Amino acid sequence: MLVVMKPTATDAQVDAVVEKIRSLGLMPHAIPGAQRTAIGITGNKGGLDPALFEGMPGVREAIRVSQPFKLVSREVKEEDTVVDVAGVQLGGKRLVVIAGPCSVESREQILEAAREVKAAGATLLRGGAYKPRTSPYEFQGLAEEGLKLLALAREETGLGVVTEAMDVENLAMVADYADLVQIGARNMQNFSLLKQLGKIGKPVLLKRGASATIREWLMAAEYVVAHGNPRVALCERGIRTFETATRNTLDLNAVPVLKSLTHLPVVVDPSHGIGLRAHVPAMARAAVGAGADGLIVEVHPCPEKALSDGQQSLTPGEFAGLMAQVRVIAGAVGRPV
Amino acid sequence: MFVAMKPHATEAEFEAVIDKVRALGLTPHPISGTERRVVAVVGNTGAVDPDDFAMLPGVAEALRVSQPFKLVNREVKEEDTVLDVDGVEIGGRAIAVMAGPCSVESREQILETARAVKMAGASILRGGAWKPRTSPYEFQGLREEGLKLLAEAREATGLKVVTEVMSTDTVDLVAEYADILQVGARNMQNYPLLERLGQVRKPVMLKRALSGTIKEWLMAAEYIVAKGNPQVMLCERGIRTFETATRNTLDINAIPVLKTLTHLPVIVDPSHGIGIRKHVGAIARAGIAAGADGIMVEVHPRPEKALSDGHQSLSIPEFDELMREVRVIALAIERPVL
Repeated sequence: MLVVMKPTATDAQVDAVVEKIRSLGLMPHAIPGAQRTAIGITGNKGGLDPALFEGMPGVREAIRVSQPFKLVSREVKEEDTVVDVAGVQLGGKRLVVIAGPCSVESREQILEAAREVKAAGATLLRGGAYKPRTSPYEFQGLAEEGLKLLALAREETGLGVVTEAMDVENLAMVADYADLVQIGARNMQNFSLLKQLGKIGKPVLLKRGASATIREWLMAAEYVVAHGNPRVALCERGIRTFETATRNTLDLNAVPVLKSLTHLPVVVDPSHGIGLRAHVPAMARAAVGAGADGLIVEVHPCPEKALSDGQQSLTPGEFAGLMAQVRVIAGAVGRPV
Repeated sequence: MFVAMKPHATEAEFEAVIDKVRALGLTPHPISGTERRVVAVVGNTGAVDPDDFAMLPGVAEALRVSQPFKLVNREVKEEDTVLDVDGVEIGGRAIAVMAGPCSVESREQILETARAVKMAGASILRGGAWKPRTSPYEFQGLREEGLKLLAEAREATGLKVVTEVMSTDTVDLVAEYADILQVGARNMQNYPLLERLGQVRKPVMLKRALSGTIKEWLMAAEYIVAKGNPQVMLCERGIRTFETATRNTLDINAIPVLKTLTHLPVIVDPSHGIGIRKHVGAIARAGIAAGADGIMVEVHPRPEKALSDGHQSLSIPEFDELMREVRVIALAIERPVL
């Protein structure tokens, strides 16, 4: 349930509502907004009676939220959430481009990638230090050494860092180095990890599970927010279908659907979404055309030598070409890059 | 296999290649491009040595085609195929817009829609006269009466007409009225129908089956071309996935993939692709941005009263708005809207 306060409600009246929610053994969640003050309620087993709150001073109305996801629902918060990532506003008017290699491989590689993507116009650097590889025999990432190299690249270029956390054990360390903590597709429903993410002071980029429905994905985001961290962005990266001509099937339907269901920012990963280097720019254009708030693109100084995802990584030159195309579409939909 | 002629090869040299193909018991398909003439060789070419052709006078090269689809393959014909739909080009620089109701329901409905979509900038009118409905109890279409109404709407507005053909026995009838014959998703692998459409002298729009892979889809197009009709365009309309928040999952990946694998035009149907009226515009923009040659959109003067697909049909003002958005994207990628 959502309790919406009148614009004239006093702090004391808001506090009284919060107290009442607690006294019922439920959890209050302040929903920030420029237009109104509202308090989301979670923890109830069945439906609550709006009359419990509607008689209280300062309360405009109490609304039942029809969806099973509450705090991430646009019913609860109409305005877009803008997540601040090291000074970059994700979910605002500007399109945010995150770029970099699949994995951090060496000092030279990550520094060169960082300089190149920055020069082309990216504002955040991606790079995996912990890699969830399908085969246990493949390169698993440089672990903390990789995080240190990302921090070095940030020092050098000023780009904020996006990197994946794979387990509860390493989460605090990853969050120490990262500006945006990525949760990969394979961990979308790792609920222990999601709960812990609620307690970190860094924003989270939650990728969609390869076979997850939009509803399951929003419920996963709800876990993070319900556990205390409202700074969540979603990332569509392609789903599993019968089609084998492409690595995944990028579900761009999800972009407008999410933008109407949730206030969270929506990022698209065209690299994993199609998995073919030649077609990444077309899918990046399409994502921006569909209304995505950001892109995350794999770029490697030398894709043919990449330790992971070389077949879908762009060269710096190709990435500069992608940026030129994306700028044109972004301009057409009224979103500067 | 395909045999590419040298730019200055003579007609006699070209004929000699064709004769040699026939002599081997194979079928030659001459393909004319502005750059070069090519003879695609179809049949069991396993035992044929391409070098036997490469040494003929006037031949530039003879190569095996790596994919199972041959005539629709970009390896065989590099240039985009541009279809001429009675004066409207599809597959060229301009984006083609097809719009109209799911089904033709009445004279008033189809005429009102035709006038409105024309005003908004569409160049081709869609409307089903034969409807492949999931339930046998639902409206099945006005059949020939629907075709006549489409023809009347064409007369009144100058729009070209695209309409679906569901079975071999109605191909001639539909071809009499339609400017483009649509093969619906459910018939993508109806091979007798595809073969029959190979004999028609009108363009065919082949929709992707709900669970058709890109390769299967191209093989289906190959059927039509191999049987004699090279005027084929493809239409991505969403595939079946586990996701239930949308009617289908529009596979926009298919657009750039197709544009490299085949020379045929690629159309996107955002209405079926997402199935939710308020999101059709966003997904139309995405389709154009990805490189589609055209869009097909369901529009109804009163969607809430539509006999089919009302939940995904745009009202006329909504279609106007979509056209504005599509024009902006098309302009950005330097493609005019037809």
